[in-house]
Amino acid sequence: MTLLTGETDVFSSAATSGRCAVIFLSKDQDPGLAKPYLSPPIADALHALEAEGWILSPRAMIDPGETPPATGFATGFAHDVDLAGVFEAPSINAAFAGIRRLERAGWAERFATQWLIGPREFAAVKGQPVAGERNWGFLALWEWNDAWSAASQDTRDAYDRHCDIAFAGDLALGANIAGRHRLDWASSWHHLGFWEIDNPKTVDLAMREHERVADFMFTTSRHYIGRRCTIAAYLAGMTEQLS
Amino acid sequence: MNGTIWISYARPRPHWYGLDEAVKAEHLAKWASVAAASLAKGAESLGRYHIRGQQDFETTEIWRFASPEQAFDHWSRLTAAGYNQWFAFMNNVGEAVDAG
Repeated sequence: MTLLTGETDVFSSAATSGRCAVIFLSKDQDPGLAKPYLSPPIADALHALEAEGWILSPRAMIDPGETPPATGFATGFAHDVDLAGVFEAPSINAAFAGIRRLERAGWAERFATQWLIGPREFAAVKGQPVAGERNWGFLALWEWNDAWSAASQDTRDAYDRHCDIAFAGDLALGANIAGRHRLDWASSWHHLGFWEIDNPKTVDLAMREHERVADFMFTTSRHYIGRRCTIAAYLAGMTEQLS
Repeated sequence: MNGTIWISYARPRPHWYGLDEAVKAEHLAKWASVAAASLAKGAESLGRYHIRGQQDFETTEIWRFASPEQAFDHWSRLTAAGYNQWFAFMNNVGEAVDAG
C-alpha cells in the first residue's frame, strides 16, 4: 500500500499492514433505555468476530499479548456521540462484513452509528510509564487542508519535524499511540490517531504543545475523549465499570 | 458482480486554479490513466456529475467495484498520482444491501 504521508521519527510503517480499523461513533438510539435483550446477540457477534481475528480493543493493538474484552469509550459527557471506539479487522472486506453482522445483531437498534473504516499505516508507539492506569481514550480524526496541499515538500518536511516534537511530547506525557490508520478512501477524514491516556488533562497539555508547534496550521481535526468501559458494561448501563 | 459502490465528491483546491492549462491537462491525463486501469480490472464508472449548485463540492462520481478493497486500490493509485493534493474530497463506500 502507498502511504498517504511519509514516515517520521515517531511513526514508522506498520508490519501489520492490511489490517483495518473499524471506528464507531455511536449515539444511543433511546437514551436511558438499555434494551437488555440486545446485549446477548451483540456479545455473541463480538465473540465471533474475535474468533475470526478481530482485535476489539486499542489496548491489544498497543500490547498484542493482551486480550481485554471488547472495549469502548464513554464520550457522552463531552460529545454528541455516547460511545466511541476502535476495533481492528483482519482486512477491509472483513471490516464491511463484520459491521453488517454487528448491525444486524442489534447494534443498529441500540445505536445510531457512524462507522469509519481504513487500513493501518503506522505501527503503535508506547509512551513513558504513568503513575496510574490509562483509563481514558482520545480519538483524533484529521485531514490535510488546502494550505498543506499547496505547500512545497521542503515546507511539509519542516512541518513534520515540528509535529514530531509534539508527538514526542505526547509520548513523554505517557500517551500510548495506537499507530495511524488511513481513512481517506471512504471518508472526508484522512487519518485516525488513537491514544490511551491517564486522564483528560493529559490531552489538554498535549494539545497545547501541538498548538505551539503549529500542528493545526495544516490540518483540520475533530477530537473525541472518553472514559474506557467494556462494551458489555455500556450495554448494561454500567459505564462506571472499567475494562 | 460489482457489489461495492464508491461515491466520490470533489472540488478543486485553491491552488489548482493558478495552474497553467497544460499542467492541468498533464494531471488530468495521469488521473484518467488511473481510471482506465480500474476499468480494465473490471470496475464500472457510472459517470461524473456537476453538483456545485447544491453542494459544498463541485462534482460527484460514482463507481462500482468488485469489493471494498478494489475501491481502496483505485483511490490509493489516485492519491499516489497526487489527485488528493489538487482536489478536496469526501468519499463514501457501501456494499449492496442484498449482498448477504
